[in-house]
Amino acid sequence: MAGRAQIPQKNSALVAMIADEDTIVGFLLAGVGNVDLRRKTNYLIVDSKTTVKQIEDAFKEFTAREDIAVIMISQYVANMIRFLVDSYNKAIPAILEIPSKDHPYDPTHDSILSRVKYLFSAESVASGRR
Amino acid sequence: MEAQEGKQGVFETETERPPTNPLQGVIEGEEVGDENVLRFLDSMDGYLGLMDSLSATLRQGWFELASAKYSMGALRVNGALLDLKVHPAATSLTVTQDDVDSELKQPHFTLCKWVSSGNEKSSSQEVKSKEDDLLKTSDSQQPQNHGSSQMFEGKTSARDGATFEVDNQVSKERAKSLSMFGTLVSPKLRAVQPSFETALETIVEIVNIQSSMLNAYDQVQRGSKGSKG
Repeated sequence: MAGRAQIPQKNSALVAMIADEDTIVGFLLAGVGNVDLRRKTNYLIVDSKTTVKQIEDAFKEFTAREDIAVIMISQYVANMIRFLVDSYNKAIPAILEIPSKDHPYDPTHDSILSRVKYLFSAESVASGRR
Repeated sequence: MEAQEGKQGVFETETERPPTNPLQGVIEGEEVGDENVLRFLDSMDGYLGLMDSLSATLRQGWFELASAKYSMGALRVNGALLDLKVHPAATSLTVTQDDVDSELKQPHFTLCKWVSSGNEKSSSQEVKSKEDDLLKTSDSQQPQNHGSSQMFEGKTSARDGATFEVDNQVSKERAKSLSMFGTLVSPKLRAVQPSFETALETIVEIVNIQSSMLNAYDQVQRGSKGSKG
């Protein structure tokens, strides 16, 4: 957890989104949409035409940007780039897997919960108590 | 009273007594470890509970958006109409850092709703100065004229004025985000906003609880590594 030591303080940070159209439109109506001077948005609409490469690139871009504090990603989209999401361990931007219209939230796929799952295994509890 | 004093006396003698048991340090260490495990489990319970709540809120939002699409037509509410002109986010986050202990830092996220970063400073300062002016006038009127009731009324009206100003700004920002789908939009589309705003508030709560959970997890892991070593 090397990435958890340093946390920059930010006065105004953005919420980024990688999700289906309806979820993005809803959150844009809630005012989280941002377009910067280079015409870069803080969201990616995922539909049937979106490739895994595009999702990967957007995820890498959002995690590298310093003005983003939270990345919301639909869980079914996160499943497409699971290797990337699971290997991410920085505190900021925080990743949150959210449900989508056609895919309800499944805690067993959540990267955060699978990271802390270790504490619930019988072996770890036994070794910790010894 | 006597009983209370007696209890206090017992408490003081217990706290002042030097540790005689050599295993006390070990027991305290275990208690701290248990506390971290409890904090971790509490956070996880909160995380899963809030996720359920988020799912319900989002379902409501999607339903309202589908109603809006039905009443306005799918061509008037879709992703192709999104505003791609340069504009700042009206709702953003503030990140601060909580010191849990000397080594671990925990980020804390706060939601700033409907404060466009372009006019954030000016608008908030404007509102504050107006409120101050109104408070000054109400205070200056008070000793000349009447009793405390009028001052109370003056202060209330000043606060109302400031609240009105903020409400006005919020409604302007809301209208701005709705304007990408046209100037006259269906009330059903307006109803989508509160649902997704609530979802956003829940998301910020979840992210904070997630940060607390990961922090507790790190501490539990450190504790178990320390006890092994």
